[in-house]
Amino acid sequence: MSETAHADAHEHHDHRPTGWKRWVYSTNHKDIGTMYLALAMIGAIVGTAASMAIRVELHEPGVQFITDFQFYNVLVTAHGFIMVFFVVMPALIGGFGNWFIPLMIGTPDMAFPRMNNISFWLLPAALILLVIAGLIDGGPGTGWTVYPPLANADFHPGMAVDFGILSLHLAGASSILGAINFITTIVNMRAPGMTFHRMPLFIWAMLLTAILLLLAIPVLAGALTMLLTDRNFDTAFFSPAGGGDPLLWQHLFWFFGHPEVYIMIIPAFGVISEIVSTFSKKPIFGYLGMAYAMAAIGVVGFIVWAHHMYTVGFNVETRAYFTLATMVIAVPTGVKIFSWLATMWGGSIKFDTPMLFAMGFIFLFVVGGVTGVTLANAGADQAFHDTYFVVAHFHYVLSVAAIFAMYAGFYYWIGKMSGKQYPEGMARLQFWVTFIGVNILFFPQHFAGMAGMPRRIPDYPDAYAGWNMISSWGAYITAVGAILFFVVLWKTLTSKETVAANQWGTGANTLEWTVASPAPFHTHEQTPAIGTQPAAIGTQPAE
Amino acid sequence: MTEQQNKIKLRTTVTREPKTRNGVTALILFGLVGGMTGLAFASDPLYRIFCKVTGYGGTTQVAEAPAESKIIDHMVTVRFDANVNKSLPWRFKSVQNTIKVRLGEQALAFFEATNVSDKPIVGTATFNVAPFKAGEYFNKIECFCFTEQVLKPGQTVQMPVTFYVDPAIIKDRNTVDVKTITLSYTFFAGDDQSEAQKLQTTHVITKDEENILISRESSPKG
Amino acid sequence: MQNSRRIILGYNSGVAFLITAFAAFMASGANAAEPIPWQMNFQPAATPVMEKIIDFHNLLLTIQVGIVVLVLGLMLYIIIKFNSKSNPEPSKTTHNTPLEVIWTVIPIVILIVLAVPSMKLLFFMDKAPNPEMTLKITGHQWYWSYQYPDNGDFEFDSNIIPDDEIKPGQRRLLEVDNQVVLPVNTEIRLLMTSEDVIHNWAIPAFGVKMDTVPGRTNESWIKVTKPGTYYGQCSELCGVNHGFMPVAVKVVSKDEFKKWAAEAKKEFAKAKNTPVKVVKMKSPAQAQLR
Repeated sequence: MSETAHADAHEHHDHRPTGWKRWVYSTNHKDIGTMYLALAMIGAIVGTAASMAIRVELHEPGVQFITDFQFYNVLVTAHGFIMVFFVVMPALIGGFGNWFIPLMIGTPDMAFPRMNNISFWLLPAALILLVIAGLIDGGPGTGWTVYPPLANADFHPGMAVDFGILSLHLAGASSILGAINFITTIVNMRAPGMTFHRMPLFIWAMLLTAILLLLAIPVLAGALTMLLTDRNFDTAFFSPAGGGDPLLWQHLFWFFGHPEVYIMIIPAFGVISEIVSTFSKKPIFGYLGMAYAMAAIGVVGFIVWAHHMYTVGFNVETRAYFTLATMVIAVPTGVKIFSWLATMWGGSIKFDTPMLFAMGFIFLFVVGGVTGVTLANAGADQAFHDTYFVVAHFHYVLSVAAIFAMYAGFYYWIGKMSGKQYPEGMARLQFWVTFIGVNILFFPQHFAGMAGMPRRIPDYPDAYAGWNMISSWGAYITAVGAILFFVVLWKTLTSKETVAANQWGTGANTLEWTVASPAPFHTHEQTPAIGTQPAAIGTQPAE
Repeated sequence: MTEQQNKIKLRTTVTREPKTRNGVTALILFGLVGGMTGLAFASDPLYRIFCKVTGYGGTTQVAEAPAESKIIDHMVTVRFDANVNKSLPWRFKSVQNTIKVRLGEQALAFFEATNVSDKPIVGTATFNVAPFKAGEYFNKIECFCFTEQVLKPGQTVQMPVTFYVDPAIIKDRNTVDVKTITLSYTFFAGDDQSEAQKLQTTHVITKDEENILISRESSPKG
Repeated sequence: MQNSRRIILGYNSGVAFLITAFAAFMASGANAAEPIPWQMNFQPAATPVMEKIIDFHNLLLTIQVGIVVLVLGLMLYIIIKFNSKSNPEPSKTTHNTPLEVIWTVIPIVILIVLAVPSMKLLFFMDKAPNPEMTLKITGHQWYWSYQYPDNGDFEFDSNIIPDDEIKPGQRRLLEVDNQVVLPVNTEIRLLMTSEDVIHNWAIPAFGVKMDTVPGRTNESWIKVTKPGTYYGQCSELCGVNHGFMPVAVKVVSKDEFKKWAAEAKKEFAKAKNTPVKVVKMKSPAQAQLR
């Protein structure tokens, strides 16, 4: 295996561009993956800054430092958009996906390397447009849901919302191109012998995510275009005066928006599956069940969108249908949770940092998942809708779980990506600080929500002061965890301690561990033969 | 040497052969993207048709005058509710609060709108009934909401709506409990103001007209 | 505000914190119609709908705590039993069909157990038995207006009392100048719409939360069983002052309500009969306020 890597390095060192051209003109999946990860980190700094400003403002009742409430709404909007489109998606999909899809399926690069370059470079442009949107004409104070009429020209005159829409168009185009690349690569370029049912679960996750992107993002793009023409060219898709309906926007937005949450969490499922299997030194339990559970979640994700809209005024039958359909999602999700537990069961587990984050992920995802069942019920949702309970729920499943998966994936693969060993002790400390921080941050929000505190308000009745103060302290602890992460990152990249090609040992049997660390610029030029490998490749079932 | 050749051969088989296959796959996927985008735009007319046909969201039905023979002796109360959007400087109210009708019986109700601005304006009304499930059975025969309305400055008009409630409403297990139906209108400024522009000469509201307007507004409800 | 600052300062010492928090938690069971400090649960129900929501949520919560504890327990067991020191040799098991069937079927059974009361609750909410009166609610940026079409057809606006006008004993961000007054033990139809953007009229103790959508009228109903004053807030982002358009409802006996309605009709009718202000406009196109 190291022989392959050796030959690669010799053959191709002259093809490798240097300097700024290496990055700007890059068609190399590893470099593009690295750039995605770097962009996600920049996004995370901006997005976290926005959330910290929110938590500082909410630390005590009354106005702390945000006197302009439009600015507060802009912060809420920016936090949502940035975390979704410029942190979680670029890290889990663009970053890990680009890095490890070719490595794990045994192909030299993505199917369309130059399209890959465009996919990436659209994103910084989108981020810049979004920042411009926040800085001009008072910014978009619409929330990430951009509901008209609030988002119409009547209530958001100026260019802010238009810039936001263009930003999402670019980010959407980036995702669509990326998704087409991912699907083509996975469908056509797997090494011989790697059948669909022998693909690692991470590859399954990426394939399903890409399919979801392909089906969901165009709907968002269409809806955004309609909103843009409503704002600027006097169309009336969402304006009742011209025969439109503002609720049509909500239907379209959530038809995209609900699959979008799975777009963020299914890659996390993939990362966690790899890590749990590696550190338990066992193949994943119930591999096929795991793969098809993800597929089922993806499919059902398209027929449950209106559970975000229970209070708009629906026929009771509509709410009944969406309640029942939504509850169905709990079944495949349960399969995943129990399969992870069963994978660990009987294992010989090493609790290195990736595994700590993976176990943290599983537990926190369960906590966030069960409140999802509460919110699925249209009847109960009448008490919870738009309260902090909802904020707590989706931060447990998305923010906390997705970010735990990002941290887990980072520690799992940083050795492969950089060839350096991360400092284990400091990394574990980072886990514990983050774990404690996020729970103090988000758990009390359940209480505030049940007591009735609405979301997206810059000031709250004094009775909610206690839990908000606790929550803000949790946010500060989480921020310390994030700073610690950057320290770990710095220490890793400047470390002299290198890692072996397979640093995790016998449990790690996917193809990326067969190439050298750091992974050479070109890998798998010679197709790895799956059938002859001594160790079982991937997490496929024994045959 | 042979090993090297082998390697090159292998590489070509990996990259060259699937290139067309990749192209085809990408083409199919781009087609899918186009299809989904098309669906997003198609959702606008589809949604309107869906609401009209099923009475979804309390959308009322349009019908011819009902046959006398269909009337049955079961009363429902119809309430009237009038709203004006912020975009329109009109006053708008229902002339009567409620009326009681027999199922299948044609009924007539009036709404009254006044333009309180000093310019002619086109208004257009949206409407629905509550509870929504009654929409399927609420039939309008004639309604001011079918067309745009133009009001001159200070002008007040009474606008009729004729309707009947389909007797089938008591045959539906879902709607048999409905004893009161609210018919609600909201007037918006029309997107197309060309009719108002035609009317707009150099008319400036006079003190007299303003007084008439004020006295009308203050008079008790009819 | 000062009051709350003092509360927060008091909590800075650990023991006081715990004691007060516990006391507040216990007190949250008392009959309060507003949120109280350190509340961890719903506000007490004041309508049959909210009672049923709380009952249903208790069932949900029990099952959920069970699931979380089960997963946590399994994880702790795994950590103790299957770490690389206690269990150096990993098992080779990757399948157990009966087990996989069980963890698919049991969640389905649990969901069915939940779905039945969930549907009951939903259909109960939807059915307005036969309301005796109607309250018309209109959302505006950023206040509510209320109309009583069956009690003399008067209407009034309800604005927040700003922080600097709050009197001692009043609740900051929750008090309004004109409270909605409603009779107790009366089925009331709520009609809701908006004049501009989407708002949401919500009162936690009533279990009512409904969007007010411009161009359409939504319907809901309440029957308040306990007199008192109830508070809620706008629950859909509606612009700059979204956090500053509270709902305050005073529920009184039927007789008191009649008296109040007669008074209110006179008072607010006066306001209604003030001369119309003629809106001066530049051009008809401006009607769209673009």
